[in-house]
Parts: sequence; structure tokens; C-alpha cells
Amino acid sequence: MPDAKMRILVVDDFSTMRRIVRNLLKELGFTNVDEAEDGAIALQKLNAEPFEFVITDWNMPNMDGLTLLQTVRSTPTLKHLPVLMITAEAKKENIIAAAQAGASGYIVKPFTAATLSEKLNKIFEKMAVA
Amino acid sequence: MSDFAGMEDLLQDFLQEAGDLLSDVDNKLVDLEKSPDDRGLLNDIFRGFHTIKGGAGFLNAAELVTLCHRTETLFDKLRNGELALSPELMDMIMAATKGVRNMFGDLSSGVQPPPAPADLLISLKAAAEGQPAPVVAQDAAAGADAGSPDWDALHAAVSGQQAAVSGEVIPAAASGAENEHGARPAGKEDARGNLPAPQAQHKSGGGGGGGRRVDVARENTIRVDTARLDQVLNLSGEIGLTKNRLTSLRADILAGKNDSETLHALDQAVSQLDLLVSDLQNSVMKTRMQPIGRLFQKYPRIARDLARQLGKDVELVLAGEETEVDKNMIEDLSDPLVHLIRNAVDHGVESPEERAMAGKSAKSLVRLEARQEGDHIVIVVADDGHGMAQEAIRAKAVEKGLITEEEANTLDDRQSFNLILMPGFSTKTEISDVSGRGVGMDVVKTNIQKLNGSIEIRSEPGKGSVFLISLPLTLAILPVLLVLLGDQPFALPLSLVREILPIERDKVQEVGGKSTLVVRGEILPVIPLVRLLGWQQERYPEYGVLMQTAERSFILGVDSFAGRDDAVIKSLEDFRPHGVAGVTTLSNGQIVLILDMKELLSDPGVINGRVPALEAG
Repeated sequence: MPDAKMRILVVDDFSTMRRIVRNLLKELGFTNVDEAEDGAIALQKLNAEPFEFVITDWNMPNMDGLTLLQTVRSTPTLKHLPVLMITAEAKKENIIAAAQAGASGYIVKPFTAATLSEKLNKIFEKMAVA
Repeated sequence: MSDFAGMEDLLQDFLQEAGDLLSDVDNKLVDLEKSPDDRGLLNDIFRGFHTIKGGAGFLNAAELVTLCHRTETLFDKLRNGELALSPELMDMIMAATKGVRNMFGDLSSGVQPPPAPADLLISLKAAAEGQPAPVVAQDAAAGADAGSPDWDALHAAVSGQQAAVSGEVIPAAASGAENEHGARPAGKEDARGNLPAPQAQHKSGGGGGGGRRVDVARENTIRVDTARLDQVLNLSGEIGLTKNRLTSLRADILAGKNDSETLHALDQAVSQLDLLVSDLQNSVMKTRMQPIGRLFQKYPRIARDLARQLGKDVELVLAGEETEVDKNMIEDLSDPLVHLIRNAVDHGVESPEERAMAGKSAKSLVRLEARQEGDHIVIVVADDGHGMAQEAIRAKAVEKGLITEEEANTLDDRQSFNLILMPGFSTKTEISDVSGRGVGMDVVKTNIQKLNGSIEIRSEPGKGSVFLISLPLTLAILPVLLVLLGDQPFALPLSLVREILPIERDKVQEVGGKSTLVVRGEILPVIPLVRLLGWQQERYPEYGVLMQTAERSFILGVDSFAGRDDAVIKSLEDFRPHGVAGVTTLSNGQIVLILDMKELLSDPGVINGRVPALEAG
């Protein structure tokens, strides 16, 4: 089970969406949440303070979620950070692109707290095994 | 009841943020028409629809998701260069954004939006698949009520199995949609023009590219920079500390300690409190201030749509979007500005042919600008059209019976232009569908006056017209002139006061049963305040306040003055006597009525008549 106190970064350019994700996380007991408006800001935050989990939107201005993910994976200090991608599309090529870039999980909008919880658990199970 | 029980907060957030996003998309669409190959723009618009779709999913607004999804797919193809933008495609996209805005309207009244017009959805899909699009009527709003049972079948036909959609299905579905609408698509524009006024207003409110629907309550949330809130917090903390200081000083003084040191400390504490309170007032006021750009950004689209409809080439140029204005004022300015801009595009600027003949550039410019001038906000709507001729305006006003020939001859330039603000005035004989809408410029004036603002018109034949709106920075504080009748003070809005002059009885002339004074060649009626209030006149007014409302200038006769003040208005919502705008408290604790001059002057009986020559009392 993931630690309820773990520090999570939610990345989305649409503040309503950040709030939605935040509320869902709260429902699941995660309250240590910070937000970033795009990939570039997220990266700054990730480099400045420790986070244990990143949930990011795909489509964003400045730096999109995929680039953020790729940058995280190529940064030695961040490369083990679990990243959950959120998108509005269940397109095969998107899922493949995310998987190739090293996403820990993939979730399609809209989703419920239960779906989110399931994804989180799966990611942490995998991490425990590894 | 609401379809969104438990999600109201989320819905509010979504509507505000997505509304801004959609306005942004609207503007980018206008830009896109100028540079159809701009990948950056295409990408931004794509992302706009994509983001709205994502949020809508969480609100279970399936129809909004569908519409956004189709539009987004189309933009995906456009930004990848698989499709090229055509005027037909542009119309379809514009119809789609209108559809999205209508759905926001539904959401804000707490209902799930009905499906978008079937023909629009079909066209979007067909276009994204590179097929010739069935013609989409310009106005998606008119079709928004297309949620009849047939729609489910259509929806299944076009979205059920993607692979099954072929060239055959689409025309069949499209013709189904046409049956459903009757003969609407062909004669839609005409039909719209003939709608009874209230309904037409409703439609254009929701579908006019930006207007909020008339039946939707005003937004009651606001986004405030946290730095501003921190300042408020900080100041209230400081005030708390000063209050503690005063409490301790009071204890000292009550205990009989009144040496110069204590009194000096008291003086200091009170001065500090004074400073802090005015700082706090300022800071709180600032939390209500919003950049006017939020309002401005929906107008380019309105101007563009109207210009296209009229076959004109008009560009709306915005300036001063960062100017900050009180939130309520922004909302109340929305309709008057729509009207002025429509007016400029419809009546102000010429057709391309006329412009060519006059040796002007084919493209007309309408400028919408905001700026702060001292303690006022000035908003300018200017066009480079044919301007207005004063003689024509005066003649029209006489013809309409609004003024007499005699009155017409005494009007100066400014007053002549002000005639178009009178109820019942319209320089075009037939009311056009576009800027007519059953309301005239008088409504613009009334709305501006409600905000304690004023409107001024300048025009030069052949060069264009300028409408200048001047507004106070805030609605909460009103600079007033305090006048006295006997010992009783009254407050007059300072914005209406032009000057103060003594009334010399031997200079007062009786003209046609009216008392008048000549001020620098201008004949002005003298109206004693006592008469406006319906009081018994006990003495001859000693001073005159030269006041100017949009309709008239006159001299208000009063006994004396008590100075000027920045009144904090308390409105009398449940009990408001005729002619009283509100009350305020003076520094000595006395309560003063703030007079509503317009209302006081609305009774024609009080304006005419002489000032009785009483013995000085």
C-alpha cells in the first residue's frame, strides 16, 4: 500500500482539473499534494524539493506531459520517480508512446477515485517487486 | 433540481475557467482567419477544446464531451496539415464554439446540456474525415433545441461503429436532420430576424458569441491574486494591534491619566488607525478589481461575426486590456459595450464600396480601449467610419418629436450628439436585426449611469465617431458635494457638479414662466432643491450648483454648503424613498441622504416654474 503521507505533484494546465485530481486523492487519503501548471514548472518543483509521486496531464503548453516524463527519466536524481499519465484519449499510439517513455501508469479521463486507487496500488505493487 | 448536486463548486470553477478558455479560443479563431496556417494557433485551439473536453468528462456532460471531441479531432487534422482550413470549415468551427458556449449556459443553470445540433455534429465528423461537409447553418444556437427522439438514432448511426460510417450513411443522416428541423437551415437568418423581441434577445444572449444568457445569475465567485489577500490580512492584523494600543490608552485615560505623553500617544494611534483603515479600504477594493481584458476578449468575435454577416471588413483593435475595473462593473459593462460595438460595425463604418469611394482603406478599424485617468476609468469605442452630422441628428430628433425646433437651435455640438442617447431615437428608420435588438442607445446610457458613469460622444463627418465612457474606480465610494437646506445636509454626486455660483436675485430672469440665469451665454433654469423635495420654500436660495446630467444642465438652488466628502454608500434596499440613492454617515455621526438627481428630475412638474420671490427670511 502506498504511504498516505507521500508527497504527490499534480501537473495540469487546467486548474479545475488539478482540483478534481486533488479531491480524488483526498478521498483516497492523500493530502500531501502540490500542483504545477505545466511540465516546465513541474520540473522546477521536482528539482527543488522531494516528491514521491507525479500525476501529470499529457496536453499542456510550454512543456507537455510526455516531455516531462522523458526529462524525468533522463535525470539521474529523478529517474526512479513513479509517473502516472492522465489523458483524455484511449488511443493505442498514445498508450504506446507513454509506455515507451517510461510511464508507470496510464489513466483515461474521466475517472473515479476507485480507478485512481487501483492504478496507484498497481504502480506501488510493481515498485515493491522491483 | 440541479443535475449537479454536490458538484456545485466544481461546476463553478469549471465554468469560469473553461469560459475564459473558450473566449481565448474565440479570439484565436479570429486570428486564425488572418493566418490560417499558423501551427501555434491551431495547436492552442486544439488544446482548448481538448482541455474543456477533459473537464466536461468529470461533470458527466456527455454531450459537451462529444461536441468538443469532434471539434478537437478536426483541429488535430488541421494542425497536422492533413486538412486545410476553408471558409466553410471556419463557419463550422464557429458554430461549434457557439454550441459549446450554449452548453456552458445550460450547465450554469444547473442542467445537463442537450445534444448539439445533429447536422453540426455530422458535419464536424465528415469534415475531419476529409469528406465534403454538408452545409452548416451559421447559427448553432437556433438548432440547440434539436434534442428530439430522432437524435439517438442519428448518434448511433454516426458514432456507434466508426468503421461503418461511409459516404452513404452521412447524407442519409444529414437529410434526417433536415427533416427534423423542417425547412430551417435555408431560411434561418430570416426566421431569426422575425423572432419576437424577448426571444431574439435570449438567443443572442446565449449564442451571440460571448454574451451570457439573460436568465443566468451573475457570477458570484472571484479569482484574487493571493498577494492581494495577504495584504488585506496583513492590514487587518495591523489594525488589530492599533486597536489594542487604543484599548490600553482608553484604560489609562479613564483612570485619569491625561498628561501630554498619553495624549500624544492617543493622537499617534488614531492617526495610524486612520492610515491603516484607508489602506485596508483600498486593498479590499483591489481584491474586487479584475483586468478588463476578460471582458474585452469576447468582442473581436462578435465584431467579426457581425461584419461578416454585413459583408464588411472590420477589425476590432483592443488596447488597455490590463486596466483593472471593479468586478460588478465589468459585468454591467458587458451589454452596453456589445451594443456600442455592434453599433460601430453596423452603423458606424461603411461598406467596402463606400470606403473605396471615400478613398479610405477597405478594412475599417473599430478601437476598443480602456485606461485609467486619475480616479476614473475611461473606455473608448471609436470607429473610422462616416461619422455623424449634427444637423441630421437635430432634424431627426425634431421629427421624432423628442425636442422642439426651438430647443434644437440652442443645442451645441456635444448636446446634439447626446440626442442619440434619448429614448426613441434611432437614426436608421428601420430597426436592423443586428444592432437594433429592440433596445437603443438610451439603454446604454441608462446602464452607464447606473454605474455612476457618463458617456460622451464625439464625431467628425467622414472621419468617424468616438464614444467615451467615463466610470468611477469603484462603486462603493462616491465623491459627493454636501449642500445645506437650512441645517439639513444633503449629498449630491460630485460627478454631476460642474460649478458653484452665487445666485444674485436681480440677475434671475423669468423666461416663459421659468426662473433662469445666464451663465457665460448659456440660459439655464434655476430649480430650487426644496421644490424637488416637495418642501415648502422658506427663503430664496443663495447659492446655485450648476449640474449636468446627460439630458440637461441646470442650476440647483440651495441655501449653503457643508463641503465635499467621499461617501461610503449604504443602500436602502427594502425602503428607498423616491429620489434617494442611499445614505452615508458624516464624520460627526450625522446621517445624510444621497440624492438621485435623475429620479428627482423625472417628475416634469418640478422642472418648470419660477422661484417664488419670498421675502428674505
